[in-house]
Amino acid sequence: MAISAAAVAAGCTSEDWSFRAERVSKIYNGSLLANDAITLQVQPGEVYGLLGPNGAGKSTLVKQVIGLLKPTSGRLSIGPFDLVADPAAARQLCSYLPQAPMPIDSFRVREVIELTGRIRGGGRNEVRRRAAGLISALDLGEWAGTMGQRLSGGIKRLVGFSMVTVWPGRVVILDEPTNDVDPLRRRLLWDQIRLLGQQGCAVFLVTHNVMEAEKSVDRLAIIAGGRLIAEGTPSSLKAADRGHLRLQVMLAPGAATPELPPWVRHHVRAGHNLITAIGEADAARGIGWAAGLIGRGAAEEYALGATSLEDVYIRLTGQASAGGPGQD
Amino acid sequence: MAGYASPLALPLPRGGAAHWVRSYWTLIRWHLAGLRMWLSLLATIQVLAGAGFIFGIALFFRHIPATAALFVCTGVPVINLVMVGLILGPQLVAEQKLKGSYEFTRSLPVPKTAAAGAWYTVCLLAGLPAVAVSLLLAEARYGIAFTVSPSIVPAVALTAFTGTMLGYGLGHAIPNPMTTRLITQLLIFAIFGYVPILFPAAQLPGWLVEVNGWLPFGHMAVIVRAGLTTGLVTGVAASYAIVAAWGALGVALSGWALGRRG
Repeated sequence: MAISAAAVAAGCTSEDWSFRAERVSKIYNGSLLANDAITLQVQPGEVYGLLGPNGAGKSTLVKQVIGLLKPTSGRLSIGPFDLVADPAAARQLCSYLPQAPMPIDSFRVREVIELTGRIRGGGRNEVRRRAAGLISALDLGEWAGTMGQRLSGGIKRLVGFSMVTVWPGRVVILDEPTNDVDPLRRRLLWDQIRLLGQQGCAVFLVTHNVMEAEKSVDRLAIIAGGRLIAEGTPSSLKAADRGHLRLQVMLAPGAATPELPPWVRHHVRAGHNLITAIGEADAARGIGWAAGLIGRGAAEEYALGATSLEDVYIRLTGQASAGGPGQD
Repeated sequence: MAGYASPLALPLPRGGAAHWVRSYWTLIRWHLAGLRMWLSLLATIQVLAGAGFIFGIALFFRHIPATAALFVCTGVPVINLVMVGLILGPQLVAEQKLKGSYEFTRSLPVPKTAAAGAWYTVCLLAGLPAVAVSLLLAEARYGIAFTVSPSIVPAVALTAFTGTMLGYGLGHAIPNPMTTRLITQLLIFAIFGYVPILFPAAQLPGWLVEVNGWLPFGHMAVIVRAGLTTGLVTGVAASYAIVAAWGALGVALSGWALGRRG
């Protein structure tokens, strides 16, 4: 393990444990640009969302952070540690919950959480206490002694989350942590993610579920086509959409996208759903237009409501997110 | 909020001997727990495979020459020792790659040498009971009186090490799990049929003797035989050197594969 005494000494005295990505680019096979000069910073205590459609380059970025991939160019660091030059330090400073299933089939729930905590460097008693806390907080008690292979997908996901956070690194990377988790425990999981931030971790949350992220992140970046196309707090990103409303029309099965009136600011089609943004002053015209579509049999129903981060996401990426309108 | 709020001592990167030893022990626990559903089955298959060779040869021939019986009975422990590390090991890594859990395993903050050392220890532990049972069965069936010398210890340790490290390197270096499966099938086929483990090298065609002179498996049998018998094998020092060289190659391959970042 190549961790120099000087680096450790530097780490001990450093106050700034921010995670930084500076102009990180990743090119696969000499031509496929998966990340294009991405620059961002996550402070300790911050829950930072990385949002984007499938194939946007989110997972590529986090795999470079954890040392599974090497950037073609650019710098990744946590405090004084250069993660590209020192992947061993990256693995110690980061906890990583991948999107893929965790290898827990042959383990009991409490056992695998505690064992991972011990591997991550926690003391026996502290790890035992924190594992018990997570099992209780995520309502996993009835499965504590159950083998992994007998668990449902959602419970496995929560066990995976507990494994990587029972003794967390300074940066906790969670790739789609709520996948398969039921709505009740999803809330408990978000509580724990927030708590990680309160305990001083920088939480790097990868998701394409904008509606969930909006409620839980401090700041977020939207990434598309490998580029970081927007960054800020949810409020600041929504600022550009103030004064807009979302008019969502569920089109009849097989119906083509209707011709759009000129006052529709932007639109995206996701399955049967046509999601548009209109000005507040155009609300009455919008209702009339949607009602006309229903009258002609081109649509089945419509809904008019306030815009959300989802609409920012739709405007920037041209796609609806998972869990958003039009996603089953 | 359901929860707990214990203050966290967020980590600094650790290094040194204490970190290595802790990683080594916790990973042994990880492997033993992860294999718990298979260990008894694995041990049974290992014993049955050994017994199959030891008793099976008597089904082919009415009279077994003493030397032939001795070669089979001193070759079976080599198969017992390399089977887990060389064949099962890469298949387990391939399965992790197939299921997607490989990335999590790679992200664990442990030194590469501690991870390899832990896996070697587990493979050695998984092979030793079958070795003991095979030797007892051989004694019972053929009345062989093994002359066990202290050199059996390094012979067993090195044979298991080289088998495990080659398997470990292959498993991590080969990106496609299907390729790994095919290569391990090929290895089983080659080890049982075309490598002088269960029979003397002289019974092979000259070119195959030449090829096996450069491969580790026949030499593993030589060094293990040297620890179990007297006067049966020669050139033991050269065999140690060749097995050790292949072990070093396995270590180098593993180090390269685990350090590789796409």
